[in-house]
Amino acid sequence: MSEGDIARRRFLRQSAGTVSAIWITAALGELGTLSAISCAPTKAKTSWQTFSAADAADVEAIAAQIIPSDATPGAREAHVIDFIDRALNGFAKEQQPLFTQGLADLRLRVSTAHPGSQSFAALDRQQQIAILHALEQSKSDFFTAMLAATAAGMFANPDYGGNRDKVGWKLIGFEDRFFWQPPFGYYDRDEATHA
Amino acid sequence: MRKSLLDTPPSTLFAPSDEVDFVIVGAGSAGGVMARELSQRGFRVVVLEQGPYLRAADFRHDELAIGQLAALTNDFHSQPNTFRTSEKDVAKKKEVIKYGRIVGGGSVHFTANYWRFHEIDFIERSRKGGIEGSSFADWPITYADLEPYYTKIEWEIGVSGVAGANPFDPPRTKGYPLPPLPIKPAGVLAERAAKKLGWHAFPSPMAIISQPYRGRSACVNCGFCETYGCEMNAKSSTLATMIPEAEKTGNCEIRPLSYVRRVETNAAGRAAGVTYFDANKREIFQRAKSVVLCANGAETPKLLLMSESNRFPNGLANSSGHVGKNLMFNGGAFAGGAFEHEINGFKGVVTSRVIQDTYELDPKVGLAGGGGFDFRHDLSPISFALGGLPIDAPKWGAEYKRMLQEYYTRSVYVLAHATSLPVETNSITLDPTQKDAWGLPAIRMTFAEHPNDVKLNEYMQDRAIELLDAAGAKKSWRFSRDPWFPQVHLLGTARMGNDPKSSVVDRNHRAHDVPNLFIVDGSSFVTSGRGQPTMTIQALAFRAADHAARAAKGAALS
Repeated sequence: MSEGDIARRRFLRQSAGTVSAIWITAALGELGTLSAISCAPTKAKTSWQTFSAADAADVEAIAAQIIPSDATPGAREAHVIDFIDRALNGFAKEQQPLFTQGLADLRLRVSTAHPGSQSFAALDRQQQIAILHALEQSKSDFFTAMLAATAAGMFANPDYGGNRDKVGWKLIGFEDRFFWQPPFGYYDRDEATHA
Repeated sequence: MRKSLLDTPPSTLFAPSDEVDFVIVGAGSAGGVMARELSQRGFRVVVLEQGPYLRAADFRHDELAIGQLAALTNDFHSQPNTFRTSEKDVAKKKEVIKYGRIVGGGSVHFTANYWRFHEIDFIERSRKGGIEGSSFADWPITYADLEPYYTKIEWEIGVSGVAGANPFDPPRTKGYPLPPLPIKPAGVLAERAAKKLGWHAFPSPMAIISQPYRGRSACVNCGFCETYGCEMNAKSSTLATMIPEAEKTGNCEIRPLSYVRRVETNAAGRAAGVTYFDANKREIFQRAKSVVLCANGAETPKLLLMSESNRFPNGLANSSGHVGKNLMFNGGAFAGGAFEHEINGFKGVVTSRVIQDTYELDPKVGLAGGGGFDFRHDLSPISFALGGLPIDAPKWGAEYKRMLQEYYTRSVYVLAHATSLPVETNSITLDPTQKDAWGLPAIRMTFAEHPNDVKLNEYMQDRAIELLDAAGAKKSWRFSRDPWFPQVHLLGTARMGNDPKSSVVDRNHRAHDVPNLFIVDGSSFVTSGRGQPTMTIQALAFRAADHAARAAKGAALS
């Protein structure tokens, strides 16, 4: 990318692969529209752009296992589900069939493993984790896409609907500013004093 | 992007029917320099750029849209590539090439790591001998020929660094115009590690200005460099430097959204201009006395191959058969380390210290080439979450979350930049079946690493781990050493040489077969150097412009 060695999104490409790529490369034309939508205040959703209420509950439950809520906020508090719902009707539209198929497959797995259960979202934590491990081991494209979509929903600019109140960024210690001054961290403290 | 800016028509100076002095294909690292150098000498220049003409005001801190380059680079969906590892195979669709598709090209979004080549990079074949399975050769020019241009570009665009700080630096006639950018926590660790190993860490030479320079503001350490466009114009891209200076002459027209499909030739076998698609996919023929290709190491050979004719049946400027061959990337081995305290790599430019003690290896190591290291952190949060943790870390769940929390601010990556040997069968050709959205053949890449490069990367990765351990990492880890795709350093595919039978351009970038055709970009490289090709691409462009101007003045071109 350089020409210059712009590189190292190679990390990403390597671990991500084609199924995930779409989640980390919003289309150029999307920007204006997406940024124009202000974040809705936190409240229970009554309507979704892509999902049925049941789908949304399952997708949110998966995201909440990928980045769980514990002492600190997780995918749920970041409103990752809002991000995914909106993206599947926008820049990630081409993955709608993957999600439809993936959710149908998930339901089948749930009903096979736990006859009589209502949905993935209704399972308890251990049951959910077991199902997701099985999904991961089956090299499910849907699960791979969910990993990428959850990371994007957790850490993209809040303008896209997730990372609500920047909880994702606060979690890992990232801050988006236009100006920083040394010292930047621990190891350059002395340098900055001497400079 | 704001639509209005994309739609703003650039100032029109010339009509396609005007026979301008030079038409330049590609407004990137090399094209921007050529445009400025030629227009400042009074030549009438048209620059055709595939991508849009964005400005600093269009760039933003948005990883999803810009960080991952959807906005600034070629789009695989409209311009697919195909890939195979051997000429015997049928190539399959794969995203293997990434380049800046924007006015300013790769210099807009690059890291701005700005290394000169060393003397050895030009003469390694004769100094150290040939290598089996490689078309390794000397350049027809030496470091001494290029040195004035390395110095020139440092001063023309603004480069920050400390002359003499690197004991392995090649000789230079002048210091840097600007002091180095602030040392980062990772830079302090690089110094510690180097000291412990008896090596030498020095301030990274960066094409980012540390102080106000020629009307541009200094870097404010916002951290959005690699993959992003600089909102401050502190990164010394051709968009921020050369291109406005070219336009100011009144002799240079930048025409964005113009995708060249063919170099046209006349009955005498000279270049007569180029045919391109405009934004509405209309074909337009721009007449010119000379043509300069600065389209990058993949698009340039593609264009030459597409420009075949009865007179040039194997593609233009290809009597040697070397167009598209000898593709090189630069090796790059990656290692990560986690430290006890905060690194906060997201603040400031990507890298502040470089180590080049391995630029030339001890013969006892038994490997050709060499390389250097930088300590860096270049992952925005989404990229980090998907690929920044140790490769054995969980990909989801409570422990994954805990590691994201601990590692984001405390990780350092050591990137080894290394030699990639030229191999004749590693190539860019036209895919026989796959087409792009304009109906042009897709770029087909054939590539398999030379065994030396595989071992060299392994060797460099071992040293990277040693450096991290010496710096006091609590944990260090390796990333995959397989060649990364898409590749960004695209080199060697129209190599320079004195012999028209084994090279495409002469020592002054003039095509052996077509006297009014110049080829100036990564494709001219004979060897890969050790990484960071942009500075050399730009120094070559300054030098090529001198020769092209002289040739044009002598009217030897048309």
